[in-house]
Amino acid sequence: MLKKRITFFKRAAIFLAILGPGIITGSVDNDAGGITTYSVAGALYGYGLIWTLIPSFIVLLVIQEMNARMGIVTGKGLSDLIRENAGMKITTLIFLGLLVSNIGNTTTEFAGVAGSMEMFRISRYISVPLVAVMVWLLVVKGTYKVAERIFLLFSASLLTYIVSALMGKPDWSAIGSAIVRPQVQMNTQSLTMVIALIGTTIAPWMQFYMQSSVVEKGLKMKNFKYTVIDITVGCIATVVVAFFIMVACGSTLHPNGIVIEEAKDAAMALEPLAGKFASQLFAFGLFIASVFSATILPLATAFYISEAFGFEAGIDKKWDEAKEFYVLYTGILILSALIILIPGAPLIKISIWTQTLNGILLPVVLVSMILLINNRKIMGAYVNNITQNIIGWTAVVVLVCLSLALLLLPLVSN
Amino acid sequence: MTSFTTFYLSGIIGKEVFGADGDAIGIIRDILINASPSGDDNDHGRQLLTGVKLKIKKETRTYSFHTFRITKAREALNVTSSTLVELKKEEAENGMFLVESILDKQIVDLNGRKLVRVNDVRLVTIETGTFAIAVDIGIEGLLRRIGLSTPIKRVLSLFKINIPAEFIIWDDVQAIDYSNFNIRLSKSYAKLQTLHPSDIADILEDLGKKSSTSVFSALDEEKAADVLEELEPHAQVHIIESLSVEKAADVLEKMPADEVADILDELEDEKAELLLKEMDTESSQEVRELLEYPDNLVGSLMSTDYLSFSPGITVEEVIGELRFRKPEPPELYNMFVTEKNDELIGTFNLRDLVVADPKSFVGDIMKKEPVFLYDDQKLQDIAEVVSKYNLLAAPVVDRNEKLLGMVVVDDVVEDLITERKTRKRNKIY
Repeated sequence: MLKKRITFFKRAAIFLAILGPGIITGSVDNDAGGITTYSVAGALYGYGLIWTLIPSFIVLLVIQEMNARMGIVTGKGLSDLIRENAGMKITTLIFLGLLVSNIGNTTTEFAGVAGSMEMFRISRYISVPLVAVMVWLLVVKGTYKVAERIFLLFSASLLTYIVSALMGKPDWSAIGSAIVRPQVQMNTQSLTMVIALIGTTIAPWMQFYMQSSVVEKGLKMKNFKYTVIDITVGCIATVVVAFFIMVACGSTLHPNGIVIEEAKDAAMALEPLAGKFASQLFAFGLFIASVFSATILPLATAFYISEAFGFEAGIDKKWDEAKEFYVLYTGILILSALIILIPGAPLIKISIWTQTLNGILLPVVLVSMILLINNRKIMGAYVNNITQNIIGWTAVVVLVCLSLALLLLPLVSN
Repeated sequence: MTSFTTFYLSGIIGKEVFGADGDAIGIIRDILINASPSGDDNDHGRQLLTGVKLKIKKETRTYSFHTFRITKAREALNVTSSTLVELKKEEAENGMFLVESILDKQIVDLNGRKLVRVNDVRLVTIETGTFAIAVDIGIEGLLRRIGLSTPIKRVLSLFKINIPAEFIIWDDVQAIDYSNFNIRLSKSYAKLQTLHPSDIADILEDLGKKSSTSVFSALDEEKAADVLEELEPHAQVHIIESLSVEKAADVLEKMPADEVADILDELEDEKAELLLKEMDTESSQEVRELLEYPDNLVGSLMSTDYLSFSPGITVEEVIGELRFRKPEPPELYNMFVTEKNDELIGTFNLRDLVVADPKSFVGDIMKKEPVFLYDDQKLQDIAEVVSKYNLLAAPVVDRNEKLLGMVVVDDVVEDLITERKTRKRNKIY
């Protein structure tokens, strides 16, 4: 009996030590862009698109498991592997795309900061520069790892969406039947929405982030099952939050025909329908998620690009030692914050273009990943099995078809 | 006729090779250089090209470079070959393919003592042959690879901006990613052995898992022990686990017992036990005793490599003994005087020895009533004692005043830094 308990505690200790990469990645995944997309989808289609979360979850899980496995086996980041195996031209293509799309993503995060703070009557000309400076200082001068843990704790506030959703008195049987009998409308608008939903759940930069975190933690294949649990928990968190946001907006805004364009609109529109408390909870969750992602995104982007092109990188380096890295990091942060402050900036267009770019990059990154993970020279015995390959390749094919359909539909319908 | 032609690896890969009659023969896929330095003084700082990997129709084979000629006319490279002589398998295996092992890979810059990524390789053809002379790690190399070097340089020259080129000469290049691991490894990593153990440790931590293991295995045991000592805990664990038990035990025996105890603490119990059994009894006994101490006590940080003498021997004899034993530097920070039952009665340092009369007795020159720490004291007490009495090393005794070992200031500092690091652990992000 005693012995059994010891092994239980030992296992729990191993799990707690390994815990992290998956859960953090899952939390960062629910950023301002994600919250906006889920809100808009809920307001526009009610419960109609909730089913997309199921395939998204499966693909997310399979992809992140592959990233973790590659990181543990090779001890190298994804950008290292791509540069070493895919050649210079493909590397340049992927990372230029990633740079542009992540500037767009970071802009969306600052839009989230601006929007949520305006709910509390704080002008964006105060909140955005303040958050940008705070984030910069936190990363460059501060203790980032501590900050990451605080953020993780705060990201539990995303669970406030459950409260917001319940206050809207959702129709559970309608939700159930919407999931069991998914309805797909073949038109540009709903197709765009489906792609945006998948694109925001499985963002390309996450793959790089996930793999680097695993490498940095120095995890081992021996404890891989714990890593898989970590990833699963992270993916469930992502999907659960997404589900409740869609339910919250689907059960309040949709029946009343309220169309929204930003997550902030959702927070404001919730007030008369679900109460002031629900609305403020929604805004608070949005703010935390935005700051969390605005911290991680620019940093991660600067890091992968430096890694791929062989620049010195890391915030333990001095400015002179890692000039390219710091210029990239600071540049992305400043540029994204500035775009928000331009009066009348086309934020919605930026967010749509960013998600489209994400959608185009995703298959490219996925194909590189699947080719790398099936390379025995790199992965040895840990190459993909048949099931993993089938799910991986199916995801690629479906994503490519969706993107192509999106491009071609307007031509056909005219 | 020009006496030499310089060109880049990126310029020659994918080029078509033409025969004597002007017909295209095949496409260059990779080029082979001598892996180990030739030792010839004329070839100092460069590496002879020996082979070319050609793709002819569907087949790829490696041919001797002897029959190839590379010329440059109006900035365009021409490669011709009169006949093709296939290289023997062992000849190819003794060399290193540039695309496979160097281009886009990480190498060690021995001069800058860090890992860098290779953007291109610069080669030169002179009368005696064609050689690799430097690797390009600059932005210009990056741009050249994506075909934008010339246009961007032209635009920037309007503003009088230069893209600085960054090269590492071949003498300072240490390749890491050998894809054919059957070449004698120790020889391949010979250049790396010249670096300081701390620098090698930093490089190993930045390398992928496979490479760090193969580089480490190539180090000789003494160097390997020094490097292992300098590695971060999780890198130490990875290295120890990837080595065979015998090899790991051999390396651990060369290390101070307190460092070994720290590493074994991080390993799983069964693995640690296996290693302790494989190590010689004397070393493993010391380690076992240290492993008993909890992390927050002085005993866990204590080194059991120390020098102690009886009060009745002369200064001359002590110096003779030191010459004979050639102790590690930390052991000389502070030396101890003990009675028969190992009871600590005094300390002296190198200065005391040097200024004393060779014939005087240790008991007369030692500092009596020495400052010491108890093995079960808290770690925080060390810094206080060490700084208050300006000690480089403090003796550690048990509650019966029996000398057990010493705490060295280096380890105290290291402990303080790692404690701060765990609070501010931001190696990557």
